Amino acid sequence: MSTGTSPEAILRPIHTYSRRYVATVAIVLALIGFWLFLYAQQLQHGLIVTNLGDWGSSAGVPWGLYIGAFIWWVGIAHGGIILSAAVRLLGLDTYQPVARMAELLTIAALTCAGLFILIHVGRPDRLVTSVVPAWPTRVQWSPLMWDVTVITAYFVLTATYLLLTVRYDIHRLREQLPDAFEPVYKLLMVDYSETEDAVVERMVWWLAFAIIIMAPLLLHGGVIPWLFALLPSMAGWEGGVQGPSFLSIALTSAVSGIIVIAAVFRSAYGWEELIPEAVFRGLAKWLGFFSLMFLWLQLQQVITGVFAAPTTLQHATEVKLATPTYWVAIGLVVVALLYIFATVLRPSLFDIRVMAVLSIGVLLGTLIEKTLFVVEGLQHAHFQLYEGVPGPYIPSIVELSAIGATVAIVAMFFLSVSKVIPVVELHAVEDEEEVN
Amino acid sequence: MLPLSASASYTLPFVGPGTYLIFGIVLLPIYIMLVAWFAGKPRTAKKGLLGVAYLVGLTTGLWGSLFVATMVILYLFF
Repeated sequence: MSTGTSPEAILRPIHTYSRRYVATVAIVLALIGFWLFLYAQQLQHGLIVTNLGDWGSSAGVPWGLYIGAFIWWVGIAHGGIILSAAVRLLGLDTYQPVARMAELLTIAALTCAGLFILIHVGRPDRLVTSVVPAWPTRVQWSPLMWDVTVITAYFVLTATYLLLTVRYDIHRLREQLPDAFEPVYKLLMVDYSETEDAVVERMVWWLAFAIIIMAPLLLHGGVIPWLFALLPSMAGWEGGVQGPSFLSIALTSAVSGIIVIAAVFRSAYGWEELIPEAVFRGLAKWLGFFSLMFLWLQLQQVITGVFAAPTTLQHATEVKLATPTYWVAIGLVVVALLYIFATVLRPSLFDIRVMAVLSIGVLLGTLIEKTLFVVEGLQHAHFQLYEGVPGPYIPSIVELSAIGATVAIVAMFFLSVSKVIPVVELHAVEDEEEVN
Repeated sequence: MLPLSASASYTLPFVGPGTYLIFGIVLLPIYIMLVAWFAGKPRTAKKGLLGVAYLVGLTTGLWGSLFVATMVILYLFF
């Protein structure tokens, strides 16, 4: 797609330093610092500083916000690269200006997902000591090992995708990129020649093909829900509906994430021409469609959970319906859906800022839904396993601060990367240049 | 246990549901991608190997750095 802007426009973040940029960095670092202080307490004293109980307290909830946030971040990660892959495979050129932001969002979000596992296991060295020695035999049997394996593969595919596509842009824009990062560019451009472009473009097409099949269908619609759906002892976790349900939540939250990031860059760098309103209108329609899928799959689970369901599933579903935060989550998605519907009927109602705010609401809603899913599955297990376990589960400040910190880490990632490489692909502007 | 998830005793613990599910189905798109890199046109072996180097290097870098961090933690605290 051509946006009618000059290639210099995509370099604006690299050449601009504003007070707003510095202030944002300061806020982001403060959020990360606050969490690091609390995380240090967790490292020193153990998970006791969180409200995650062993099966002797907190209503029997050893998996809580940390695991809910893990699923949430993996979900956000998915849509990012799927959007970028769709631009290449299906020719959805309208979204070319936000394709690289989407790829970057995938890498940052997957890092945060991994971080939540690292935090959740308590001692950080457990990630390696538990996984590496056991992997050769347990990957045949354990859904947790499947998860680690496929997420690693997904991260590596996404990073390879970015590393291969960025070479084209760096070669053409090198003169205008800052010399301070020369070693980085040299590393990224190893063995580059212009004759490689056609070859690399074809390789990237196949990368997109692998990603678009593996990520939605086999990872967020497969391996991740299998962590829960294969455990029949937890009411509300089991069943084939979890695959499509997880996927609908992933796509909903991911499109929301892209809308927010694209809106921030558009506003911060005056990219009204580079990322035209049509991109946001299109993304909003996709968000509306995915939100509808999300709500439809929620309805499926509620109806099968309350109409002649097994006793424990019925109980778990009734508790879910009686939980106010569940309705907050559903409400946030419904409000966004209604707004999108209204803007389709009356286009003049569409406002990018409103859409961005509603997208943040959808992100919050999906985080709440996934955390409730994890927590309530544990609280209402079959055979009333944790009936006598006292106390409720309410996320502690230690856990909540980790959410703030991971959002800050994603922001910091964008703030840093946007100073080194173009966050919009050169392809988004150069077609017009060539025509002219 | 269903036959799909059972394994003959002499294959244990090296063959299980993950064998076909992960290595046979979930990672299949990656195998197809790798074949396409070296089988289709236009192609060069050098760029194909660059792609493979990225895949192997990133995997090694990711888990290698975690391993080093783990060793540092063990050395400093235990």
